[in-house]
Amino acid sequence: MKDETTPIDPSIGVVKTIQKSGIDFSRVTSIIHGQTLVINTIIERKGVKVGLITTEGYRDVLELQRSNRRDMYNFRYKKPDPIVPRYLRLEVEERVMSDGTVLKPLNEEHVRGAVAKLLKENVESICVSLINSYANPSHEERIGEIVQSLTNTPVTLGHEITREWREYERTMTAVLNAYVKPKLSTYLSKLEGEFRSRGFKRHPFVMLSSGGVSTFEAAKKYPIFTIESGPVAGVIGGVYIARLIGENNIIVLDGGSTTTKASLVENLIPRVHTEYFVERTRYTAGYPVRIPVVDTFEIGNGGTSIAWIDEIGNLRVGPKAAGAFPGPACYGKGGSEPTVTDAYVVNGLINPEYLLGGAMKIHKQLAHRSIKEKVADHYNISVEEGAEGIIKLANENAAFAIRVVSVQRGYDPRDFTLIVHGGSGPMFAPFIAQELEIKKIIVPVIPPGVFSAWGMLTTDIRHDLVFTEIVRLDKREQVQKINQNYEQLEERMISIFKEELGVGEVVVHRYADMRYYGQEHTVKVPIPNMKIGEEEVRLIANRFHEYHEREYAFRLDGPIEIVNFHVVGEYKIKKFELKEIPQTADSPDDSLIGERRVYLNGDDLTLSVYDKQRLSPGFSFDGPAIIEDPTSTILALKAQRVSVDKYGNVIISER
Amino acid sequence: MSKSDFFTLEIIKNGLITANEEMFYAFGRTAKSPVIYEVLDYAVAMADQRGELIAQAPGVPGFSGVLDFAAREVLEKWNGELYPGDVVALNVPYKSGTHLNDVTLALPVFHRGELLSLILNKGHWSEVGGMHFGSWTSDSSEIYQEGLLLPCVKVYNEGKPNRDVIDIILENSRLPQHTLGDMEAQVASMKVAARRVEKLVEKYGVDMVKKAMDKIIDDGYRLALINLKKLPKGVFEAEDYVDDDGLTDNPVYVRVKVSITDEEFTADFTGSGTAKGSIASPYAATVSGVRETYMAVTDPHVHFNGGYFRPLKVIAPPGSVFHPTKPTPTSTYWESMAYTTDLVWKALAPHVPDKLTAGHFLSILATILGGVDDRTGEPFAIVEPQPGGWGAGHDKDGESGLVACGDGETFIASNEVYEKHMPILVDRYCLNIDSGTGHGKFRGGFGVIKDYRVLCNEAYFTVSIGRSKFPPWGVAGGLNGTPNYCVIFKHGEEPRVVRKIAALKLRKGEVVSLRSGGGGGWGDPLEREPERVRMDVKNEYITIETARNIYGVVLDPETLEIDREATAKLRERLKREKGQRASK
Repeated sequence: MKDETTPIDPSIGVVKTIQKSGIDFSRVTSIIHGQTLVINTIIERKGVKVGLITTEGYRDVLELQRSNRRDMYNFRYKKPDPIVPRYLRLEVEERVMSDGTVLKPLNEEHVRGAVAKLLKENVESICVSLINSYANPSHEERIGEIVQSLTNTPVTLGHEITREWREYERTMTAVLNAYVKPKLSTYLSKLEGEFRSRGFKRHPFVMLSSGGVSTFEAAKKYPIFTIESGPVAGVIGGVYIARLIGENNIIVLDGGSTTTKASLVENLIPRVHTEYFVERTRYTAGYPVRIPVVDTFEIGNGGTSIAWIDEIGNLRVGPKAAGAFPGPACYGKGGSEPTVTDAYVVNGLINPEYLLGGAMKIHKQLAHRSIKEKVADHYNISVEEGAEGIIKLANENAAFAIRVVSVQRGYDPRDFTLIVHGGSGPMFAPFIAQELEIKKIIVPVIPPGVFSAWGMLTTDIRHDLVFTEIVRLDKREQVQKINQNYEQLEERMISIFKEELGVGEVVVHRYADMRYYGQEHTVKVPIPNMKIGEEEVRLIANRFHEYHEREYAFRLDGPIEIVNFHVVGEYKIKKFELKEIPQTADSPDDSLIGERRVYLNGDDLTLSVYDKQRLSPGFSFDGPAIIEDPTSTILALKAQRVSVDKYGNVIISER
Repeated sequence: MSKSDFFTLEIIKNGLITANEEMFYAFGRTAKSPVIYEVLDYAVAMADQRGELIAQAPGVPGFSGVLDFAAREVLEKWNGELYPGDVVALNVPYKSGTHLNDVTLALPVFHRGELLSLILNKGHWSEVGGMHFGSWTSDSSEIYQEGLLLPCVKVYNEGKPNRDVIDIILENSRLPQHTLGDMEAQVASMKVAARRVEKLVEKYGVDMVKKAMDKIIDDGYRLALINLKKLPKGVFEAEDYVDDDGLTDNPVYVRVKVSITDEEFTADFTGSGTAKGSIASPYAATVSGVRETYMAVTDPHVHFNGGYFRPLKVIAPPGSVFHPTKPTPTSTYWESMAYTTDLVWKALAPHVPDKLTAGHFLSILATILGGVDDRTGEPFAIVEPQPGGWGAGHDKDGESGLVACGDGETFIASNEVYEKHMPILVDRYCLNIDSGTGHGKFRGGFGVIKDYRVLCNEAYFTVSIGRSKFPPWGVAGGLNGTPNYCVIFKHGEEPRVVRKIAALKLRKGEVVSLRSGGGGGWGDPLEREPERVRMDVKNEYITIETARNIYGVVLDPETLEIDREATAKLRERLKREKGQRASK
């Protein structure tokens, strides 16, 4: 079920959709909510007025940032706006050292003065972020208490979001949390009320960027953890499918209308890192957000990406896209620029008559005209050749996204199975697989347009705790610290779950961000869940060497250190299960609905067209072939074979 | 060429450019020196068999022009004697270099015995010997004092480390482990790019890959001509002074004449003075500096290459500050190199306002603070640039606390990371409001103040600060910015203002305070919107007195409300006075 969003009060749109569905809420077992309110509030700069309290001498951290000029030849470069203007950034006397000792005690008079000043300026949210609070948060905690004794204005304490070092990154993360907090809190409260009033009795959950979910209560306090949800849910859904059918290493590719996203998953564990940025592009620094996020890479290349010829006459595809409006030329909604979809239509790769099961008429002649005038005539080639050029470049862009998450991170894409969703995902996939020598593609049985939403139903409740402390593995006396840190984090983890859900049986995973002594960048390594002794330290060191070598192509002698201790807590919730489907037909021929003339790799071909909804488990046939249903098209090339598994997933493999 | 080959060429071109980016990331993430991994003080590139630049990924724009010079130097010396698996190292400044810390490695890629391409990687090594820790210094008088010279020598022979040369390098370094780590990381990253080229050859054939390389360069040239058409034509001049000649306190006069036609962009520095000490900008660095502004005014987003730079001519007489000869030292070459960028910029700013701002703080403010950590007995060193204030644009205020034009995707390190790794306390790191900025209809951005307090028994401090005597320039009636400087607080001494100091010994508890300047303004301050002036006072960027005296805006000291009437009157009076001064 889908409906339009209602920007003024997004909860209205959600409730409307629920009403339309006619669902009886007393019979609903779980609600998992994904939203874009947090990210949109930030991007549209529609958060509240935030006041920041910080350490003396550090008022300008938000404005100085890291001082990089990302767009380095642009002498009119603009830094990201600091979100909190200088007059709302106030210093208090206090100072903690890097080892956690207190150099200057907190001046509480300063704190009270700062709070009074911020309230006079009518701030709606207060953020506290001090130097070295990752090592000792007691001053932040005390300021939090003082603020709460003086006002009901919501407070965000930097160390509560993350205990990783680096003052600008931690402060910015906390400030963005404070910036969106009142809005998300109101929204979730309203929504929960609606669920309750309709008879829903359990905890509703919110999708997290880490790939897990949290309660509404936790999300209201720390909304920044929900900044990414859609693409992440797609990855989690991909992991579910992979586990179900016995694949361990996958790359999930989401080919959307304007962008393509890729994410690599090894051993069914998505890569979760804390080096996320909002609004970062090739030419803008963006804002660092140090929260756990499933590693995905996005490129401006999708089904409605526009093909254009640059100043010196080379063909390009994207990042500009026609989107839903005006859409590709073939939609007949006024779009005149040739898009990837138009190229598919012209060359017969997608149904040239209709989309969405007839709901949308396709105007092939408009696609034809657009590619002819804007591309083919320029090079004096046929329209089909022009269309093929567009398709090739779009495939190349999508393959680049996969290269970034695999080759650039030290993985060989040939060791992975491609799971594709989104409207254009199954169209890119067969070409990419050939280009990167990927042996198997899976197009899940779930309709590609709702795969991400479905993915949310496969998640667990999850919390992440990250703590920076430098521990050298070669210093024997420091080994005890490893145990201490994990034990403390796990204790806190369990109390978080107890407080939130009243549950004790939490699955805990340990990770460490590690590096060679003297290096800056770290590699995330899984750590065994046991008492760490000398034997385990050796094991951890070996694992680190191995991970480092894969990611960076070499290993070094010399000491190794842990920089961040990272603990993940998961609590399994009841999930939607994918069921086997019965065999409904005897032979693939029963699902054959016709033939289509296509232009592919420079040849005019006639391809068999199969109805996806009539494919039955156990079917298999050779490409080239087209499989379509009202919402999507799947393509298999000449050297590829199509088969259908017992759940109805379509598998395309090398012949 | 068949029609479909046309699109295949595009795909190979993208592959070659991506290979550079992959090499860039690989090196940034594996190097052992903070100056590489935090400051990204390096560049990688790929040249064709003739040494023409195919693609480059620089971490700092100051390196945008030196790698093709290095490629040609390698080909000149080793013509016919390069083999698969060789790696050549070079750092001599006069033909292709900058200063001795910047070591370029070159790795040839072959296909069936034919040289196809050179992969290049230039990185700042923390240590190459010389008279002071960190190698570069501001008090040298000959290049021999600045460290080890590597005259285009093989550090790997057909895949095997050349122990003789490597041992010499390590024996001459105060931090041999860092030096070796940086070199190994450089080589590893170059192999990433080489493999990618080999893959492309395997897939598309060597002829197509060569064609794609040629096409990159042809396309670059054609694009440059299209972009030149959009620039104003004519001759544009600018002059300025570099603070000192490197050894004495005497400034060096510098000038440029920029001539732009539809086919050529020429920067002629004839008439500029001479350097005595380490501030001289080697010719390759001079070209690099000019390329920055050339990129800025033509199109900052171009994937540049040898073809794109073909219309650019740089004239700098040998022996001048912009073209030193042996044995002139060059270890703080950036001090005058920055002027090559800035002079062209200054000449063109009023004529290309949609691409250029008023002058900025310009100097890298290169800083070394190092010593031995008493807690661990291990050496430590901060080697970093400082950010500062940028100039205003015709429609925007300048940026505050941004790295200088010679630096790019350069990250100023986190103070928390410094405090954890080094016996240093950063007392404050904030905007340099005290020094002010270049006021104007749009005002310059602010510089920074960074106070380092030494926590160990002794440490050494070296700094080289430019634009300390001659502040950033304003445009169209905008005021000049403010100078860069440093204040040293030693026990029992009065605070001392310095701009250059080499290996100064500091004791526990002593403080150095680095202060960068504000950028130049654009337009008359009396034309600044009063509301902007009010917000500047509220944000404590300027005082209520500055609002009144410079901007002619009268504010209520309690509420900061604008007194419109008083403001109008004051502005009228100040304008009149200005007119009278001008007519005198």
